[in-house]
Amino acid sequence: MTSATSNIKYQTSNIPQFVWRIVDVIIAAVFIYAGAIKALDPVQFAHDIDNYKILPWTVGAGLAFYLPWLEIFCGLALIVRRLYLGGLSILTALISVFLVATIAAKVRGLDITCGCFGHASQHWNFSAHLTLDLLLLGALIILLLRSGRDFRSAWQILNDQET
Amino acid sequence: MKFSLACQALILAAFSLLPGVGQAIYFRDKISWQSPVPASEMVTVVQARAWGGNAIWVDARPDNEFARDHVPGALSLNEDRWGELLPLFLAEWSPEKKIVVYCSSQGCNASREVARRLHNEAQLKNVFVLEGGWEEWLKKK
Amino acid sequence: MKTHIFALTLSVIICITARAGLKWDQTMIELHPTAADKQAIGHFKYQNAGSKPVRFKSVRTSCGCTAAQTQKEEVPEGEKGEITATFNIGERTGTQVKTVTVETDDPANVTTVLTLKAVIPQQLEITPTFVFWGQGEAPKPKTIVVRAAKDFPVKHLKVTSSSPDFQAKVEETGDGQFKIDVQPQETTRSIASTLTIQPEGSPKIFYATARITTAPAAPTAPTPPAGQTH
Repeated sequence: MTSATSNIKYQTSNIPQFVWRIVDVIIAAVFIYAGAIKALDPVQFAHDIDNYKILPWTVGAGLAFYLPWLEIFCGLALIVRRLYLGGLSILTALISVFLVATIAAKVRGLDITCGCFGHASQHWNFSAHLTLDLLLLGALIILLLRSGRDFRSAWQILNDQET
Repeated sequence: MKFSLACQALILAAFSLLPGVGQAIYFRDKISWQSPVPASEMVTVVQARAWGGNAIWVDARPDNEFARDHVPGALSLNEDRWGELLPLFLAEWSPEKKIVVYCSSQGCNASREVARRLHNEAQLKNVFVLEGGWEEWLKKK
Repeated sequence: MKTHIFALTLSVIICITARAGLKWDQTMIELHPTAADKQAIGHFKYQNAGSKPVRFKSVRTSCGCTAAQTQKEEVPEGEKGEITATFNIGERTGTQVKTVTVETDDPANVTTVLTLKAVIPQQLEITPTFVFWGQGEAPKPKTIVVRAAKDFPVKHLKVTSSSPDFQAKVEETGDGQFKIDVQPQETTRSIASTLTIQPEGSPKIFYATARITTAPAAPTAPTPPAGQTH
């Protein structure tokens, strides 16, 4: 990022930059941990996805091998601040879909014993899952809105500089 | 380098494909892509037929479907009359045999349930579920 | 701009839900049959909240053990009805999930999956339900562990063998758990026995099987003579 964009960051927010970095790192750590847990046992994760009874088995099994790595790489993107906005967007989309699937499963009365931490969270109840997922979603949306604003401003400045 | 949000997301999505595909290849023997039963516990009609006399065929369908037609030599073992039929099956079973359980088609669950009970409750080894079930047997006849 | 997008999305959602024909009270029913029940029946109630009659094209169940019946082939607008799903429990155990897939000619809701979940109480958990010895194998006792469910306390277990060639001894190991040691008199013949397991005071009977198989026992690694060190 250029100094011009760094200046914009300080101008657009009264909260110190390091606080946002801490939030970045915490969210990234959560997703990297969640992804790693699921990547260690993708077969179990495939069964956990199948429990939601939303997707056909083949699609769910494919996602079981892909999604954990997506979480890990997007978490890393947040930490190293490369492809940051893309990482934020994907994680926001993932957690949103997951929230909808979890609520739908609950409404359908399915006995789902995994949340975003795969089988490691099998002893959590529905409220615990929902709370964590909502907190993550909230934090991601705030980061997204904040970064989106900075990104658009930076993009504009970079474009103006080039013309 | 300037990347739009969509570009960034696409790059991350593409990066994630590589280890995902690698893992899928590594785990290919531990997962069946057609059904939730592990690959090591699924068997095709061709494979099961090749076992010849070493295979003991189990029909997990309801009594009336078994009576209509079944794999020659198959034993009926369903969850409607489990307590009554299990001892009859066990009388024919021996440890060196491979058990092949089938129901009507790939989508039906009865064969998986019977296989699960033979494995967990009776603690039998070499229990397999026939891919495609009775439908597949008829196609390959 | 954002307000327009929000309004448009909301309108689309309202339009879709307004067009919906059949509205179901529940698409998932959980039943808790008793140990004596032979069937678990779920009533899936619906109402045609649309402006056109809805016709059922097909009603399919996930297994032969479940039957589903519609009261009517066509549901006029405003009318209510139900699909009755009857699950024959048989000798199934544990939590059973069966589905009924309903297809209609309502374009907003072509396919609906109704789920019937039956939690079948299991008074006793017997592991394993089958013990065997190969021919010529040493006739040592093998153990069957019986665990009583928390909702079904069992004080005493009565175990009888259908064949005098097998002996069964019961021992209570505490906390609702029992050990049945089964021992054959000899393993030279292919013989079998059905073990009848009955909790005290319960009319329900459980079974396990003991057998000498026709195949010879698998060879075991030779044990060194006592006192010999390598």
